[in-house]
Amino acid sequence: MAVHISRRRFLAGTASAAGLAALGTGCSSSGGKTTLTIMGNRPSEITDQDVAEFEAKHPDVKIKMVTVSTTLLTAMFAAGNPPDVVRDQGVPNTPYLVARGLAENLDPYFAKSTVLSPDKLAQVDDTWRYDGKEQGKGPRYGLAKDYSQDAMVWCNTKPFEKAKVELPSAMDPISYDEMLDIGQRLTSRSGAKYSTYGVYPPYDVSLTAGFLNMVASAGGSIFNDDFSKVDFSAPEPLSALQWYLKYAHAKVGPTVARPLAAGAWPAFDGNQLAMVGYGYWFSGEIATDTKLQGDVHFMAAPQFGKKRVSPCFSATGHWIPKASKNKDAAWAFFEHYFGGPPAIRRAESGWGLPGVKSMEAKLPTAKPYQKQSVTVQQNEFKYYSVLKFSPYISISAIDASLSQELVKGLDSGASAGKLADAVNNTLNPLLKQGKELIT
Amino acid sequence: MTTSVVGDAVRSAQRPAQATQGWKRYRGRTFYAFISPWLLGFILLTLFPLGYALWLSLTNYDGLTGRYHYVGAQNYTDILSDNDALHALWRTGLYTLITVPAGIVLGLALAVLVNRPIKGRPLFRALLYMPAVVPIVGSALCFKLLFNSDYGMLNSVLGWFGISSIDWLADPTVFWVMIAMTLWGVGSTMIISLSGLQGIPQELQEAARVDGANGWQVFRRITVPLLSPIILFEVITGVIFAVQAFIPALLLSVQSASTTVTSVPQSNYLYMIHVYAQYFAYGRFGYASALLWVLFALILILTLVIFKASASTVFYESGPDEPATRRERRMA
Repeated sequence: MAVHISRRRFLAGTASAAGLAALGTGCSSSGGKTTLTIMGNRPSEITDQDVAEFEAKHPDVKIKMVTVSTTLLTAMFAAGNPPDVVRDQGVPNTPYLVARGLAENLDPYFAKSTVLSPDKLAQVDDTWRYDGKEQGKGPRYGLAKDYSQDAMVWCNTKPFEKAKVELPSAMDPISYDEMLDIGQRLTSRSGAKYSTYGVYPPYDVSLTAGFLNMVASAGGSIFNDDFSKVDFSAPEPLSALQWYLKYAHAKVGPTVARPLAAGAWPAFDGNQLAMVGYGYWFSGEIATDTKLQGDVHFMAAPQFGKKRVSPCFSATGHWIPKASKNKDAAWAFFEHYFGGPPAIRRAESGWGLPGVKSMEAKLPTAKPYQKQSVTVQQNEFKYYSVLKFSPYISISAIDASLSQELVKGLDSGASAGKLADAVNNTLNPLLKQGKELIT
Repeated sequence: MTTSVVGDAVRSAQRPAQATQGWKRYRGRTFYAFISPWLLGFILLTLFPLGYALWLSLTNYDGLTGRYHYVGAQNYTDILSDNDALHALWRTGLYTLITVPAGIVLGLALAVLVNRPIKGRPLFRALLYMPAVVPIVGSALCFKLLFNSDYGMLNSVLGWFGISSIDWLADPTVFWVMIAMTLWGVGSTMIISLSGLQGIPQELQEAARVDGANGWQVFRRITVPLLSPIILFEVITGVIFAVQAFIPALLLSVQSASTTVTSVPQSNYLYMIHVYAQYFAYGRFGYASALLWVLFALILILTLVIFKASASTVFYESGPDEPATRRERRMA
């Protein structure tokens, strides 16, 4: 009566079970309630209150948060089970996502919405549009939760007073060379130990966007007309690379090879960093330290070339994957998060400029530093510009190549031309491959 | 009478069958039931990923785009012209060459020390082993604080002697910080060596001493040869771990919005850092999978080479008339 299992039969059975288990990861059970999977930052960006309010308003939906991670997102897409809402940056990623058919066209939802009708959206939300050729045109694929003109600069006045250096004008831009000169006068160090870092130029939000901003100001582009090639050896990108090397060799602030161990905020808050290239959103951080609030000065984005530009580097927000199984619930979350009470609370906190126009009036102005920053910001709106990105390559690849070659170049003393060639040699094959895959 | 004899014989023959009651009747099934969790895990977590990575390595899959093309062996040939991959391989080789012998020698030295009948021996053993059980993230944080150029304790101490501060966590010094951090966990090697030392028969060492051998001669001629299988195990596992090292290099570098995995200082740019960068920074899933398969082959070759090289130097426990090393056994 004993049942005999042959080795072959057992192995076949185990392999089948393993296969079924692997396939099973792609399926999800609802169990009566819709589970809305959001890849986002909780509680820093999506607060417990935001979630509780939404779930109270939509009792049939349960929110499940997953950590923001490119690795995880890739794995979830590979398993055919992507999140329903994904946090991302509209400026560098919209063409890339749309060209790969990953993001859902949200125009039908916007057309029906009273909370988020297109006339209510801020200009920055256009960075989430792409018509297949040009960013800023065509259907909408996402929304910015908030944004800033990220090449602007915050000064901590304490190091300025200590070094007896005059504060730069808040409204009129200084040049990058002037910024470097001021940074040199503010820097205080002994060997590798800094008691004051003079300046951290606007590279910390995004190294690539920091370069594109400089190149755009100089009247150039790193891309050719159809975004299928980069050329960092062209005069404008090359001059931006040369400036970066000059800044790094001046040893007046952190670089990709020698970053700040704990980030810019602790150094700025501790009067160790005099100038940092951050946008309006930093006022939300400053709000957490009442002592610092009397010692800050917000100023216009420095100007690298002849043209005054002040772009948004990220337009951080969310998009809905085309493969999402809960698009209606995802849109309900959009209306709540971008147009409801969470959006009002975000605007009132000073953590960035709102993605909905009417909420600009909610920006905080009660304290002198808040009033000064809002005044400077309102003037800076005139110089708002949009950076251009390629649909054939991800910003993470450009960031990776730039930072890798800069780390190598700063150690070896390589010239800007050599760095430019190395970046071109890395990125152009990737662009070629990206174009082949999506066309 | 005959019937009775036959009946006894039948009953006698049936006895063993009756003895196998319950689960013992299904030995085959029981065996497979016990190994099936491992086998399932092996298929799901090893065999399938290996096969999938092999398939990916023959394509230009980028991780997010649904479409990809078969590219044959191109990803493998590209490795030969990838200077970053070759640089990463060289740094990994150097890291392995330093950490594996140093870890074994240090671990053995500590094991010899704590194997002596000294006062407070259990305490010393616990203290020396403790760093090995501290999570690597905690160790890395401590090392970063210790070696921080602005606030680190080391630069403060140097400052007392008027020595200028050093940027320890940048090239080239960060490599030695990584080596120090790796060797900080030498307690695990110590424990393995200690168990080996305790398995060496005392009478052999005493006999050598009676014959006039001093402490060093006993260690060299008796202890080390008898420990050689343990040392071989440490070499092989040490090499496999060192070649795949990733976390120490990543944790010692600063990660922020403006830095990526490729900002890891060049002296700590290990092979697995390059693999990770190719997967998740550059989105070159096909190429990264080829890099992993090359690493897999390299580990296999290294293991074989170590086994071959150890044939005449590793002594296995044997009787008086049996050959002690594998080479001698083959010759016999």
